[in-house]
This record gives sequence, structure tokens and C-alpha cells, in this order.
Amino acid sequence: MIRFIHTADWQIGMKASGLGSASQAVRDARLESIERLVGIGNEKEAQLMLITGDVFEDNAVDRLLVRKVGQLLAKFKGKVFITPGNHDPLAPGSVWEHPVWEETSNLTVIRENKPIELENCTLYPCPLKEKYSTKNPTSWIKAQDSASIAIGMAHGNVEGLPDVEPDFPIPQNAAETAGLDYLGIGHWHSYSPYKDREGAIRMAYSGTHETTKFGERQSGNALLVEISKRGATPKIEVLPTGALTWHSMERTLESPGDLKALINELNNLNEPDKALVRLRLSGLLFASDREDLESIGEILNARFLFGELQAAALAPAPEDDSWLEELPVGALREAAETIRQQAMRGAEERDRAVATRALLELFDSKEKVAR
Amino acid sequence: MILKRIIVSNWRSLLNDVEVGPFSEGLNVIHAPNGTGKSSLFEAMRRGLFDAHHVTGGEIAAVQPWGRDLTPSVAIEFIEGDETWRVEKSFLSGKSAKLLRLEGSTFKPVADGRNADDRIREILSAEAPGRGVSKQEHWGLAQILWAPQGELQLDKISGNASESLKAALGVQISGESGGQIEDRIEARFLEFFTRKGGYKGGKNAAPVVLLQEKKDDLAEHLVSLREKHMTFEQSGHNVEDARQRRLQARREAEALRETVVKTRNSAENYSKLKTEQNNKRETESLVKEKYDLANAKQNQIQDRRESIAELSKSSKDQELKLTELKKEEAQAKDALATKRTAQETARGKRSQINERQKKIETAREYLQQTQDLEDLNKRVTQISELQTQQADAKKRLEKILAPESKTIRDLRKWIGQRDQAATALKASQIHLAITPEKAVEVENATDNSKTKVEAKKTLEISGDDWVDVSVPGFGSIRASGPEGSSDEHRSQLEKSSEKIESLSQPYGTDDPDKLQDLRDQADKLEGEINALENRITDLLDEDALEELKKEQVELKARITETEKVYSDWKDQPPVLSKLQSLYEELRKGIEDAITEAEDAFEKAQTRHVEADKALSDATAEQKVIQGQLEAANRELADLTSDKLSDEARKKAISEALMSWQAAKNAAEQAEEALKQYPDDPNKELGKLEKQLLALEDAESKARDDEKTAEGQLQTLAAEGTYSKLVAAEEEQATLETQIEQESIRMDAIKLLHETVSENKSRMVASVSAPVARSATRMLSRIVGPRLGELKLSGDFVPEAIRPEIASDSVLLHNLSGGEQEQLYLVARLALAEVLAKHQRQLVVLDDVLNATDSGRLARLLNLMEEVSDRLQIIILTCHPERYRALEGAEFFELK
Repeated sequence: MIRFIHTADWQIGMKASGLGSASQAVRDARLESIERLVGIGNEKEAQLMLITGDVFEDNAVDRLLVRKVGQLLAKFKGKVFITPGNHDPLAPGSVWEHPVWEETSNLTVIRENKPIELENCTLYPCPLKEKYSTKNPTSWIKAQDSASIAIGMAHGNVEGLPDVEPDFPIPQNAAETAGLDYLGIGHWHSYSPYKDREGAIRMAYSGTHETTKFGERQSGNALLVEISKRGATPKIEVLPTGALTWHSMERTLESPGDLKALINELNNLNEPDKALVRLRLSGLLFASDREDLESIGEILNARFLFGELQAAALAPAPEDDSWLEELPVGALREAAETIRQQAMRGAEERDRAVATRALLELFDSKEKVAR
Repeated sequence: MILKRIIVSNWRSLLNDVEVGPFSEGLNVIHAPNGTGKSSLFEAMRRGLFDAHHVTGGEIAAVQPWGRDLTPSVAIEFIEGDETWRVEKSFLSGKSAKLLRLEGSTFKPVADGRNADDRIREILSAEAPGRGVSKQEHWGLAQILWAPQGELQLDKISGNASESLKAALGVQISGESGGQIEDRIEARFLEFFTRKGGYKGGKNAAPVVLLQEKKDDLAEHLVSLREKHMTFEQSGHNVEDARQRRLQARREAEALRETVVKTRNSAENYSKLKTEQNNKRETESLVKEKYDLANAKQNQIQDRRESIAELSKSSKDQELKLTELKKEEAQAKDALATKRTAQETARGKRSQINERQKKIETAREYLQQTQDLEDLNKRVTQISELQTQQADAKKRLEKILAPESKTIRDLRKWIGQRDQAATALKASQIHLAITPEKAVEVENATDNSKTKVEAKKTLEISGDDWVDVSVPGFGSIRASGPEGSSDEHRSQLEKSSEKIESLSQPYGTDDPDKLQDLRDQADKLEGEINALENRITDLLDEDALEELKKEQVELKARITETEKVYSDWKDQPPVLSKLQSLYEELRKGIEDAITEAEDAFEKAQTRHVEADKALSDATAEQKVIQGQLEAANRELADLTSDKLSDEARKKAISEALMSWQAAKNAAEQAEEALKQYPDDPNKELGKLEKQLLALEDAESKARDDEKTAEGQLQTLAAEGTYSKLVAAEEEQATLETQIEQESIRMDAIKLLHETVSENKSRMVASVSAPVARSATRMLSRIVGPRLGELKLSGDFVPEAIRPEIASDSVLLHNLSGGEQEQLYLVARLALAEVLAKHQRQLVVLDDVLNATDSGRLARLLNLMEEVSDRLQIIILTCHPERYRALEGAEFFELK
């Protein structure tokens, strides 16, 4: 029997674009998740940790990160096997030349397509040596005659995925073809299992251990895989490892007061210090909702690890004359009407956004004068 | 505001308390001579109402009377709205301020000090000036209504005055709160933008500008980070490439090494075989040599023997030939001697030719000399004859005494004058002609002479002034003549006669014609003498006559000498042509003979030389034959020194031949063995070893490149280029987001500002139009239609005029001083009327119409009378008479 953690795509050192000051926190969270994963692995008494590629975002990441990862993995009680992926291939100057891998005794960076016989299983690793290739990395594996549990480790694109480049293509039946009990793959960040003809899951993307962007489903996990014997169906448990939550919200405003519900929703999000929130508003902005809109902006700025409000698609409600009535008669009111028309009918979204913002500026000035 | 009265003391030239008022609510004229203090009064009013009592500085200090330490003070009573106020203010050392309000019938204090200053401004809607004295922009409505001396021009209306105008026009452009909102919008706009609409830069730059600058700086940094990361990746490739090259070179080197070993073995075998072949060939060669030597020796012996026989025969033949040649040579030598003699004889005759030639030359000279002498004789003869003629002419000339031509001319002149004088004298005298019928004796009393006159003969008697004659039996006759001086003519006549005498006396006649004849003769002779002289000169040709004669003598001597040698020439001169032909004949004959003799000699010489040469050659040949014979005998002796017989030698030769054959066969076998090698493997071995060396070098170089690239890679890897790049790109993305957000915010602020401004301008434009129309009407009443329409800015300030005939507006500085005066005055009055819509306002005009003529002034006064229904007008002037026509005006004289 063999019990092991299958994980991949840690993407340590990755770029977190558009997250402002939260970028570093996002990167730091990925290291913390490794610690959590190691802890879970020890807790589950996993014998092995198989990391199938893309531990690092790039071979040129800061070497301190490399050392940190090595140090974190050293805390795993079992053995760690790593196959380099397409982001961190085994190339000259790679992260795998760092001395930490030699220093850590329980850790092996696999550098060749050669079976590794362990006590309870045989590993069939497919380390990648370059960023791109149209060759099936698992094609060398012939484990049909293996007496012990055969576990493959690979990194690439499962064939048949739509709109995907044929980089390191892996057939959907690769595990079966190669005679493997389980083929752990990396590359895609969402957990995706693949069943064989008998309906058993023998091949799976573990997904990334910590979500990397908004809209990434089924990520922030690792897999605990248990295979009782050679030929047995693997038992797979999805272990949540991610700490950050990514919330991508879109709301359309139709009536005055719609924003209040949204404020409640935002306030009710759990662990806001670990939440990244992107809120896109569209629809009608009523004059009475200005303060709520401002509040939402403040909540997003202050409450969450990262908060972003996209309100360019909001336009002043055409039937809401309070936009105008609150203003003194004269040039200001006429100017407000002109701007409101532009906000409703501007040719480009940006023009409309500018006009809406101008209207809000006008009201802001009015209120400051009133104070 | 309506002014009631004003009291000023210690203000510039106004030392004692000066009180002016109470003013009429309509027209008022304050007048005084220059320097009396009219403008000071107006100034005191302004300072009292708008300046803080504690103001300091040069301007307020200047209001203190010169040379005195007095406290300038002013008190003003005025009505504003429904209340009557009194302001009492003192400045400088005695500064104080008090505001009082009329309550009941007395003025009660309302505020003092700074409070009073503030309240007064509040009442009049004025603004605090800050530091220093107030300026027009601080006066509130008064900046429109009050025109200090020289400041009638209205350039700007600031502060609340503009709003008051608009409010008075009943247009709510923005309202009070609206104005504040607009101000805030304006302030917000100016916080980030310049007035022209561009982003502010420098230390007050708009945030989007700073963000963009940051982004631009970051962009440069990003470029270098990207380059570095690319270098890292490229270095990885370089390491791989170098590694591949190294491995490839190693593989190729290993493959090549096997080939090298094989080739080396082949080369060794080949070398062995080659050596064997060479040895066998050498052996063959030695044996052959031996055979050849033996054979050659035998042949040589045979050759020598044959050669000796031939040479002996040749030697004999050569001896015979030598004998013959000697004979021939002797004969040729004799013939040569004979021909030489004949040649010398013929050449000897050449001297005859020279002699003959010399004779011809002498004859030529002789003939020439003879001719020359003849010519010379002729010449000398001619010269002598001419000289004789010349001497003769000179003698004749000497005999003639002829006057000069000038003398003759003078003579003619004097003769003419004499005749003239005589004629004039005669004309100036009285002439009496008596022709008696019978003979009488006439007595001339003039000169006391008596003259008998025959009958019918005429006696003429002349006298200068009169003639007095008497005739016996008749009486006396006296005739007096014309007036005029006969003396003069007589004197001239005498003078002329004297001159004639002096000129003609040497020549014996005073007849000019005769004298001229003499002159002509003399001239002719002189001409002859000159002509002869010229001919003599030509003949002499620059030679002296003596020299010619000397030459004659010389020629004669030479001729004589020649004739001594050739005496027959004396009688018979030589004929050159004949001499020449004889010479030619002689010369030809001699030359022909010489030529023939020389040819013969040459031929004989040639024959001798040939014979001699043949003999020499034959002798030399004989010597050679002898030498060869000797050499052949010696060689034969050498060749046969081994004392072997011919048979013995033949046998040795045969043995040598067989040995050679055997050696040859062995060598051929060795060659056959070598044929398995198409080419010398050593050549290939050399190339292969070079290739191997090159591959080893390539491997070594690739190793070095690999190490270098690895080193570079490690350095870059240690830098963590990707992480740095990521951080910079994240920052860039953040900046871009911020810039976009900020741009939207800035655009929104700008849009708001522009939209509000556009709307305001449109509204204000619609508001200022009626005021402009009112001002235009007033202006046309004063100046006529010429200036057309008056244009006001959005703040009601006169900007330009638009005459009907002009397509464009005309700026005001293009108007005359008087028209500008009138224009600004009516503009102020039009604005004052607007302000006075709800409350009468005070207009103050301090000496403002100095450039306006009487006609227009009258129309202005009419206008002022009309507007005084709504305005209180106070005019300060030093010409009260100009304003006497103002109906209902109160006049105040300032003393």
C-alpha cells in the first residue's frame, strides 16, 4: 500500500498583476500554503510527496525563495520527489542547481526518465528539460511488467482540451497505456480527474495548492492518494490547502438602494484579511446612492487584502432628476444636465465613465460647500 | 450708497477742517483751483471707507501734510439702504476708527477699531486689501462707480462687484452657493491644471503627471530588467549550446581516434614496405651501375681506339691544308702592298683641287674689290660735285641782302598805318582848291607862302584848322575846317614814316614787293643749299669723307697685291664661271681616281685578312687534333690499365648483367606489394591527426565557453532576475491602473470645469448684452453712430467697439483720447444704472473729461442730468464753468 500527496503548480515567485500592494502578500501566501501542505501531509502520514512540476514560476526566481522551499520541504516526514515542469525545466541555470536540493536528505529532484524503485512502489518520472515540446513526456513509460505499484509523474497538456497549445501532450489514456496504477500530472491549476475505461480515476491534475487568480475554479488544493496494491483503484481525497479566497463579483444596479445589499454582502465575507475582491458594477446610478457607492469604495480599499471597484459601466439613472434638483439653478444645473447626458449617451465607455465621475465630482463639491 | 457730507482734516494740503456737504441726491460739483485738495478730498473718502485705520506704509504716510506731524482724519456721513452711517477714521500716529449709526437724531457708535473697519467694508460690500492700502479691486461697487483722477478707464471688475451686477440684472447665474460651488470647482481644476488646460508640472504637478513620470522611469528600468532576464535565459541556451558542442566534439573526437589508430597502423605497414622497396631498388641500382660501368668501359676503350685512328688521319690531312693556306696568304699580302701604294699616289693629287679652289676665291675677292673701288670712286666724285655746288649757292646767298619775312610784314603794316594816317590827316584838314581862270599868284597866309597858279590849273591848299589865302585882285579867302585833331593823325603819320624808314633803310627800298622778291630769292638759295646738304649726307651714309678716301686707298692696295700674283688679271679680269668649271673638272677626275684606288686597296686588304684567318684557323684546328689525339691515347692507357684482355672484360660484363636482372626482379616484387595501398596513408594520417587536434581544441573551447556561460548564468541566477522583473511589472501594472483611474478623475474634473465655464459664459454673455446695448445708446448720443456697438466682456468691462462699416471689432486703444474718455464714462454710467436698479448709487468723477470738447460735453451733461434721477453724481473739477449748464446741480467751492 502506498499513501502519498500529489501536488503541483506551486508557481512560487509568480507575478500577481493588478493586485497593487497585495501582490507580495499573495506570493507570501503561497509559501505559507506549502507549510500548511507539509503539515497536512505529516498529519495524514503520507509516505511520499510527489510534486509534478512548476514548483517555481521561473528558473530565475530569487534564490532565497528556492532555499525557503527546500527548507519547508525538509520538514516533511516522508520522501519528496520533484519532477521539474515547463516553468522550471531542468536547464542550465535552473533552480534545481541550488545546493539546497543536495542538502535536504529527504528530497530528490528527478533528472532522468528512469524508473525509481522504492520500497512500496516504483516511480516513473518525466522531468521536463525545456519550456516547450510537442513530445509526449510519458511515452517512455512501460510499466506493464512492474511488480510493484506503478506511479507516474508528468507535466503537460492532456489531449482534447479546447483552445490549448499542444505543449507536452499527454493522452487521456496515458496511465492505462503506460501500465500505471496512477499518473499524477501538473500544468493546469484546477483539480481535474481522468477516468479509465472502467471508471477508475487513474490520472489527475492536482491543481495548484493556492489559487493564483480570480475565476480559477477548484484550486487551492492538494490530493491525498492511496493505492492498496498493484492494479487497485486509487483512492483520492482532495485536501484544501489554500488560505486566500478570490471573489470576483458582478452586480447590475437597477433601483435606488441596490448598493445596500451589496454592502452587506461585502461586510459578510469571511476572513477579509485573506480575501481578494473584485467588484464590477454596471447599470444605473441614482443620486441617492452616491454615498453608498463611496462606502463600497472605502470598504474595498480598507477591509480586504485586495479590493477593486470597477464602476466604469455605471451611468446616472436617466429618470432620476434629483441629480439636477439638488443643484442651484443656473450654470451649475445646466452643466450637470449636459454632463448627465454625456454619462448616459457617450460613445465610448470611458467617456461615459468620465462624465459619471464628473457628475460625482460636482456633487462632491456641492456637499463640501454645504458643510 | 448716498454721500451726505465729508469732513477732512490734516490731509495733504487740507490742513484745517474742510467740510463739504450736505450733498444733493442728484448732481454735485466740487470745484477749486489746482492743488487746493479736491482729489485729496476724494482720496480721504476712499481711505476712510475702505482702508484699515491701522494701515501703514509709504502710501498712507504720504497723506500727512508735508513737514508736519499731524494725524490725517476723515469723517464721512452716508446713507446705505435705509440707514445713515457716519465713519470717523484717523491714520498714522493717531490711528482710530469709529462707525456710528444715526439712531433717532443722533449718531450712536456701532463699532470701533478693526471691527469698525470690517463693518464698514461689509456695509459697502468691499473686500479687505490685505497688507497696505486698498486698491480699486477692494472697493466693491465703488470700483465701477468712482473714477479717481486719471483712472476713468475701466479694465476690470473684480470681486463681488461683478456678482452684484449680475444679481442686479436679475440673472441667477450661480447664486451665492452656486458661486461657492463654482469657486470650488475652479479651485479643484486649478489644483491640477494650468489655466490653459494643461496638467500642472513641477512641484505642484498633478498626481497623474507624477504617476506617469514614475511609470516612464519604471519603463526604462523594466527594459533593463527584461534585458537582464533575457540574458539569463540566453545564457542558459549558451550553456546548453556549449555543452552540446563539447559533447559533440568529444563524440567526433572519439570516433576519429579509431580511424586515426587504423590509419596509423596502415601507415606503418606502408612505410615498411616502402623501405623494403627502396632497399631493393637501391640494390638493383648498384648492380646496374656496376654492369653499366663495365659495359661503358668496354665501349669507351673501343671508342678511344677508333677515335685515335680518326684523329691520326685528320692530323695528316690538316698538315697538307696548312701548307696551301700559307701560300695563299703570302700572295694576298703582296697584292695588298701594291694597292696601298696606288691609293697613296691618287690621294696625293688632292692638293691640286685645293689650289684651284683657292684661286677661285681669290678671283672672287678681286672682282669684288674692283667693283667696290669703282662704286666708292663714284660716290666720292658725286660728293665733291655737290659740295662745290653748295659752296656756290652759299656765295650767291651772301650777296643777297634780304629782309626777314617778319620785317617785310612789319613794313607792310607800317606802310598801311602811314597811309591810314595820311588819309585821316587829309580828312581832318581843310582843303582849298583854287582853279583860276587866269594865272594868279596865291598867297598862303597859313604858311606864308606864295604860289603861282596857271589858268585852269588847280591849286590845293590844306590846313589843319583853317586856310587863309589871298588872291590879288580878288581878296582873301578863309576857310575853317572840321573839328578834330589833325595832330594825332600827323603824329601817327610821322611815327609810321619813321618806322618804315628804320625797317627799310638797310635794304635801300621800302617797297615791300621788292623786298619780298629779295626774300624769295634768299629762300630759294637756302632751299638749294639744304637740298645739296641732304644729298651729300645721303651719299656719305654716316661715313666721313676722309674715311671714304681712306677706303679707296686700301682697296687699291689690295687689288694691286692680287694683280702681282695674277698679273694677267690686270688686263683681263678673271671670269669666275670659267674658273669654276675648270675646277670642277679637275676635282672630279682626281676624286674618281682616288675612289678607284681606295676600292682596290680595300679588296686586297679583305683578301689578305681572309687568307690570314683561314691559315690561323687551320693552325688552331691542327693543334686541337693533336691535343685530342694525345688525350685519346691517355684515356686508352687509363682504360686498359687493368691489364685485362677484351675477352676477360666481356665475361665480367655478362656476369654483371645477370646480377642486375636478379636485383630488378626483387625490386618489382616489392613494388607489387605496395600496390595494395592506393595512396600513402601517412598523408591521410597527417590530416586525421590535425582534425583530431581540432576537435580536441573545439571540445576544450566549448568547455571553456560552457564554463564562462555557466559562470554568467550562475551570477544572473543569483540575482533572481525573474523576481525583480515580476516586482517591476507588478508595479507597472499598478501604476497603469492608477494612471487610468487618475486620468478618469482628472478628465472628470476638467470636463466639469469646462462644462460649467461654458455654461456660465453663455449665460453671462446673454446678461451683459442689455448693458452693452444701454451703453451703446448712450455712446451714440454723445459721439454719434460712428463708433457703432460697444462690446463688453463677460465681466462687463468695455472690450471693443464694432463700427457698422467694419467687419471686425476695433480695440479701444485705437480711439482718440477724448472718445475713450466718453466711452468709459458712459460705460460706467450704464453699469451704475444697473446697480441703481433698487437703490440710488453714488458716482464720483474726479476731473475726468479734460479731453472732451464743448459739444460733446454738452451732450454728456444732458445725459448726466437724465441719470441723476437714479444716481447721485459728484464731479470734482477745476473748471466749474464747464458744468454751469447742469440743471439742478449743487456747486461747492473748496477753499
